[in-house]
Amino acid sequence: MAENTFDDRDIQLVIFKLGREDYGISILQVQEIKRILDITRVPNSPDYIKGVINLRGSVLPVLDLKKRLHLPPADYTEDTRIIIVKVEEIVVGLIVDAVSEVTTLSSENIEPPTTVVGGVSAQYLSGVGKQDDNLLILLNLAAIVGVGAEAGKAS
Amino acid sequence: MGLNQYMGMFLEESREHLQTLNRCLLSLENDPRNLTVLDEIFRSAHTIKGMSATMGFTAIAELTHEMENVLDLLRKGQLAASRGIIDTLFKCLDTLEQSVESIASNSEATVDIKPLAAKLAKLAAGKDEAEPVQAAAVKAAAPVSPVIATSSGITLNDTEIDVIKAASRQGYAAYEVQVGLREGCLLKSARAYMVMNALDELGDVIKSVPPAEELEKENFEYSFSVVALSDAEPEKVQQTLLAISEIDSATVLPLAIPDAASAQEVKSAAVQEDKPEAEAPAVKQDAPPAADAPSAADKKLRGGQSVRVDIDKLDTLLNLVGELVINKTRLEQIGLSHRLTDLTETIEQMDRVTTDLQAVVMKVRMVPVGQVFNRFPRMVRDLSRDLNKEVNLIIQGEETELDRTVIDEIGDPLVHLLRNAIDHGIESPAEREAKGKNPVGEIRLIARHEGNNVIIMVEDDGAGVNPEVVKQKALEKGMINQAEAEKMDAAEAVRLLFLPGFSTAKVVTDVSGRGVGMDAVKTKIESLGGMVDVETKVNEGSRFKIRLPLTLAIIQALLVKVCEEIYAIPLGSIDSTINITPGDIKTIQNQEVILLRGQIIPIVRLGNVLGVPECGKENAEELYVVIVHMGEQKAGVIVDTLIGQQEIVIKSLGKLLASIKVLAGATILGDGRVALILDVGSIMQ
Repeated sequence: MAENTFDDRDIQLVIFKLGREDYGISILQVQEIKRILDITRVPNSPDYIKGVINLRGSVLPVLDLKKRLHLPPADYTEDTRIIIVKVEEIVVGLIVDAVSEVTTLSSENIEPPTTVVGGVSAQYLSGVGKQDDNLLILLNLAAIVGVGAEAGKAS
Repeated sequence: MGLNQYMGMFLEESREHLQTLNRCLLSLENDPRNLTVLDEIFRSAHTIKGMSATMGFTAIAELTHEMENVLDLLRKGQLAASRGIIDTLFKCLDTLEQSVESIASNSEATVDIKPLAAKLAKLAAGKDEAEPVQAAAVKAAAPVSPVIATSSGITLNDTEIDVIKAASRQGYAAYEVQVGLREGCLLKSARAYMVMNALDELGDVIKSVPPAEELEKENFEYSFSVVALSDAEPEKVQQTLLAISEIDSATVLPLAIPDAASAQEVKSAAVQEDKPEAEAPAVKQDAPPAADAPSAADKKLRGGQSVRVDIDKLDTLLNLVGELVINKTRLEQIGLSHRLTDLTETIEQMDRVTTDLQAVVMKVRMVPVGQVFNRFPRMVRDLSRDLNKEVNLIIQGEETELDRTVIDEIGDPLVHLLRNAIDHGIESPAEREAKGKNPVGEIRLIARHEGNNVIIMVEDDGAGVNPEVVKQKALEKGMINQAEAEKMDAAEAVRLLFLPGFSTAKVVTDVSGRGVGMDAVKTKIESLGGMVDVETKVNEGSRFKIRLPLTLAIIQALLVKVCEEIYAIPLGSIDSTINITPGDIKTIQNQEVILLRGQIIPIVRLGNVLGVPECGKENAEELYVVIVHMGEQKAGVIVDTLIGQQEIVIKSLGKLLASIKVLAGATILGDGRVALILDVGSIMQ
């Protein structure tokens, strides 16, 4: 698992669950992981935007990642977390079912995204990682957050 | 490392000096014999030249150098500040501004300075005819040595030689400095930079070999040469340089320039080290009056002690204070529920401190409106000349302070208003005389405080706006119908000017009349939380009055509840709150309205506009209505509960949610929850 020595081609990932699939995002994009907290609904916003939260005085939008990826919804549990990520200067929260671990993956074990993986269309993917027998779906956060492209269009 | 980190400072100071130049040149135009102003112009131009040369922007340096030549002649009275010269100098300023801005925007485009430089040179030479003898002498001297090679192989071109010659007349001696860095020195570019900086402090850097950019890139071995001007003695220069760490050697040799004026000195100076001592003091003796006077004036201009702070840092500071205010509110709530005397006392104390702190931070962010007003005299001058009108611009209250955020935004609307005043307001001199007015029109730009607001007024004594003409025009364009036109009083009619697409100008000129101006002004001012209004009298003039809030960061707001959601409505746009029963609501053309003091006011159900999930409060016996206004329009907003008035800190919703119209931002409540701030303007639509 997490080895003590890794070279440039190793990527550290934060692994989390959506439904039963494992997903990964680069640890460099993750700022912190929070338990679910008070979310204020934002009227007239795209449906995948759950609302805004107060993170130590800053107001941040929170995305319902499952809704964004068109995955079936589920109720929040004890394990539900908000991962605070920074994508191209925009800080947002992503609601995930559970955060499992931080792992290191060699870039040799990452393949480019095929059309659809685990019901998620390729535009939101940056690749598929293999770890032992597990498949990790690596997300393209810039596309998911909709930086520039389609931000706020779907109101 | 290198010069780049000084870019910001260079840009800022260049802009400041250009502003000063603009201002001074204007007063020079009105009073061509004012030597103090000329001196100030000269100093600013000189500073720009020095800075740009150090930064390696040769085009700017060359142009300012040519300007200096002309200015010098003006100063010596060998040339009169004619209209042609002033115009050319103004053009130079424009070109310099362009150059500075293109540097700021990192664009590769270089501004062509050649035509202007040539024109300046011609102007400078223009005095040849007046004083042929003296000029001829100078001219004769120049061609002899168009290019001078120094002992270390630095070649100087004409311009640079001119600079050195001009400087030697001011008591500055030119030195050729050879600097050797310690071998194995790691931060070569940094050391080179420190050398340049030190030389700059002692005087001016003319040229370096290799050039500054190469030095910055460390494209040199362990030594480089610089030609610099300084009024200090060579030993002093040498000592200063050797004081920089990792500098192994520094030789400072006086540079010989064959000059008609100082030919003798040059001969004696040769390129030897023991002579400059004799020469430098000699030059120095007649220098002090020239060198000291400007520095004394400089001090006077600088005024009190101040620190230049990056606006981002101030924003961070304000944010932190904002958070403190939020936490204070939270503490107050806790204090209320626990009723501990010690706690309440401490909280009260803290309340006072945070209030003071907030006031101080807000004050720090305040900037005098003069910063915006400064550029207007020049603009008014150019415009009135283009339009063949004579206009006198009077500025009052430029020391009035406004929040930085407001200052940045207020420029464009004011430009619009001033342009309108010149183009549509002020009549041509002939017309004015026919009306029995002073042929020179007057525009007043006035700023002043009024409570928690700042008022900015643009007044002109021109033709005014005829409400009937405005009505007619609005009718033609189908903006109002006949019935509406008849009902309208004069003041209302004039306000039609602010409607989108309105223009009364008979001819669309370059200046205004495309019908976008006033609408844009109104939108901008309102987006700043302000208001704009107009008063006008035919043939007497018009007055546009802008009312702006002092700050945009912390505002008073009314918190309201719709079902479980809390929203904040800025107090500035609230008229009143009233209670009504469902029966009071009437329907006119599918629009729900209420009657308030004889006025029909459309109703907005906040829950519907915001898509709040229903919670069974819709059929309440009593409805709370918040009467809001935007400009002259009013509307009643139905909410479930009024929570109360509170000071809130405005937080941005960020890029991702910026496109949501009904929201103006967010704020954090005492309990840590986020409440959204409503944008009254878009809710009313």
